[in-house]
Amino acid sequence: MAYSEKVIEHYNNPRNVGQMDKSSTEVGTGLVGAPECGDVMRLQIKVNPLTRVIEDAKFKTFGCGSAIASSSLATEWVKGKTVDEALEIKNTDIVKELSLPPVKIHCSVLAEDAIRAAIGDWKKKNVVGGEQVSASAAVAAN
Amino acid sequence: MTVLTEQSEKTQCWFCGSENAAEAQFCEACGKLQPSAPLDYFQFFGLPRRLQLDRVALEKQFYRLSRKLHPDVYARASAQEQQWSLEKSSLLNDAWRTLRDPLARTEYVLELEDIRLEEQSRDATDAAAASGTAKEQIVPPDLLEEVFELNMQLEEMRMAHASGENDPELQGNLEAAKQNFNAQLIAAEQQLQALWSEWDEAADANNPAAKQTAQQKMVDLLNRRSYIRNLVRDVQEVLGS
Repeated sequence: MAYSEKVIEHYNNPRNVGQMDKSSTEVGTGLVGAPECGDVMRLQIKVNPLTRVIEDAKFKTFGCGSAIASSSLATEWVKGKTVDEALEIKNTDIVKELSLPPVKIHCSVLAEDAIRAAIGDWKKKNVVGGEQVSASAAVAAN
Repeated sequence: MTVLTEQSEKTQCWFCGSENAAEAQFCEACGKLQPSAPLDYFQFFGLPRRLQLDRVALEKQFYRLSRKLHPDVYARASAQEQQWSLEKSSLLNDAWRTLRDPLARTEYVLELEDIRLEEQSRDATDAAAASGTAKEQIVPPDLLEEVFELNMQLEEMRMAHASGENDPELQGNLEAAKQNFNAQLIAAEQQLQALWSEWDEAADANNPAAKQTAQQKMVDLLNRRSYIRNLVRDVQEVLGS
């Protein structure tokens, strides 16, 4: 089965490979795996606490070309979005953009899981007494 | 042939009208080939659905059935019988390939018990998307951490290896990693065999709760195993290059 041009492009020139400081409160880390194929994907986001905008994103994926392309694309897409907007990204959008064949759909699912997990981690770090720190920080800034 | 299946439905032979077990391939009375019934691989072999099986007996049965079902035998039979012989021969080959392989057999039994590894993962993703929460990972987080770490180390070694220097320490690390992964793979296979007997005992005792417990453990183990298998493959690739 041949990979689509976009997959090959992301595979050869993956965007945003790397890592960020896991312990920073501005950073959310998602580590997910697809047991069916043994892939593992880490996606990290750096969120502006005032605007809740994702200012930077990094990934590292051990897996097939489609998994790498899906996570590379995911980091591109989340950058500049607020966390709530980023949660709207669906695996089907990734499938469409990369023209993934049915057997590779789970790679896009993995990328969606990774975004959600990274945001979940960030939210967990930034909740105090059930309220978002960023919200109170925004009030304080006003 | 001894039929050990749990089903006891009967069908009538299309040729002589005698009563046969629904999963019988041949009429007990007249020996005629019977229509293709929807059988699972165990039923096809006349075996109970159990994970531990006698490989030698399975192989004998396979050769016996392949001779008896072979389309050449039915070259002069009715078109209907020729068709059945073709269908059964093809089913026989699928069943043989699946049952003789320990992993394929385990996955097949899980499938028969309505557990699909990939669908589980998909369902969890859909549930997470619907509730807006992070997906509950099917693989335990500490295993993911471990696998990710090992992959990072392996990549480092691969890059150093590719840059040409024949560092004996690096080579040693790679060999150690390979041994470690291989040992884990063997351990996983041993654990799987223990789970087979756990599941078989539960099936013998007709205990659905115990079967489910064993099934879940098998799913976890197979997931873990697929990660380790990839690591073994990757380290071998580095060492082989």
